[in-house]
Amino acid sequence: MQHSRIIQFFILYISGLSVLFIIKYSLELSDYVMPSIFDIAYTAKRILPVYMHAVIESMFIAVLGHMLSIILACAIGILGRMHSFLGILIKAGAYQIQAYPVVAIAPIIFILLGDGLLPRLIITSMICYFPLLLTFVGVFTEPVADIEHFYKVTNSLSWALEIKIRAYEHRKKILTVIEGSAILAMVGTIVAEFLSAESGIGYQISIALSQSDMSKVLIALFLIGLSISIYLTVLAWGLWTNINNKT
Amino acid sequence: MYIQCNNISCSYNKQYQIFKNVNFEFSRPGFHALFGESGVGKSTLAKIMSGLMLPDHGTIINESGSSQIIYTTNQERLPGWQTVQMHYNSVFPEHTCDNWQHMMNIFGIDHCLQSKFNHLSLGQKNRVNLIRYLFQDYSALIMDESLANVDENMREKIILHIKKKFPEKFFIYISHHVREICKFCDQIVVLRSVNHSPQSIQLNGQNLLNNTIDSGKLKENMLEIVHAT
Repeated sequence: MQHSRIIQFFILYISGLSVLFIIKYSLELSDYVMPSIFDIAYTAKRILPVYMHAVIESMFIAVLGHMLSIILACAIGILGRMHSFLGILIKAGAYQIQAYPVVAIAPIIFILLGDGLLPRLIITSMICYFPLLLTFVGVFTEPVADIEHFYKVTNSLSWALEIKIRAYEHRKKILTVIEGSAILAMVGTIVAEFLSAESGIGYQISIALSQSDMSKVLIALFLIGLSISIYLTVLAWGLWTNINNKT
Repeated sequence: MYIQCNNISCSYNKQYQIFKNVNFEFSRPGFHALFGESGVGKSTLAKIMSGLMLPDHGTIINESGSSQIIYTTNQERLPGWQTVQMHYNSVFPEHTCDNWQHMMNIFGIDHCLQSKFNHLSLGQKNRVNLIRYLFQDYSALIMDESLANVDENMREKIILHIKKKFPEKFFIYISHHVREICKFCDQIVVLRSVNHSPQSIQLNGQNLLNNTIDSGKLKENMLEIVHAT
């Protein structure tokens, strides 16, 4: 059933496109505002290789940023679960940083680090890590009393075992948020590229926007949607297969 | 060697009193019982005795040995990623392997070794859980409904085995089976609701070491307990 995401995407994309065509023909909009299907097909034939390359590059950064944010959120979650001053400080700090809109912080990152891979990676991670952080902190601070009791009364509960028990017991919650944040990772990458990068699909969209070329935007959207659907399908397949094998 | 509860008083949220000056003593190692109607606070008292909860007033004197009082309940689970064998290997020293395997055999769960905990029946789960506690370092083990969902014959077999295998330890058995408690327990504390005075009454059971019993004495004993509740 995992491939249903791709089917859902096609249905959604075709529906959206149909709505645009209904608007075009009912309001008699010009091809300049909303191109015809033939214009879109012609543009696609012309720019598809470039856009494919751009979307693969963006996807690569999104996946990398996603993994980075999972590791980061997990580490902060582990430290933040402590009831000590350090734990409280880390948790409060992590929440405070997120209170600033990433888009507002992005210029600082670009000024300091330029427009290469690293700033895009950082922005991607920052955008998708907050839901992960909330889940990890929540999961790691929530005791699983009926399992942990034995280890506590026999003085054999190490911090690593405690985390393993809690992560395992809340694995469905964790996997759901990992899946959900994958979309945010792609959004983050596109936002970063749109803001300042010189490659990637976000950068291509910013050029299309400056040219007011709706065909290019629609093709970019198609490729972004398709790549996200494929990534989510692969991710869900990998994660849930792993879980089902363990239970 | 003894475990003594002196003037234990406890209330929830400083409003609803559960215990008012509860006093009792288990004066020797053996298989004892904490009995009472549902809701009188048996589990709460057990948690206080094992140090998991603090009373508002009163003291627990644990002179049962050098180790602690451990509390176990039938609500516990094993980590989901482990089979019973994996779990036992992780919580028992290697040299105890023969002991726990023998005990699994007596408890009738030797075939569960390769199973995961959530694939077992309730009775099997309780027996698997109890075994892992029996081999820990404790001087007293409080068994809160630890043999629930286990059939009567098997329960009796398990209790007799525990009594025989660990004569130097204290076991405090919480159960609603009056007959079983009278038959196998040494000292029985009957806990009553807070508006009774005294809140706890101490009686003696038949403390059998085998299945032979004088049914007249047992009936008398059972009536005594039922009247005390």
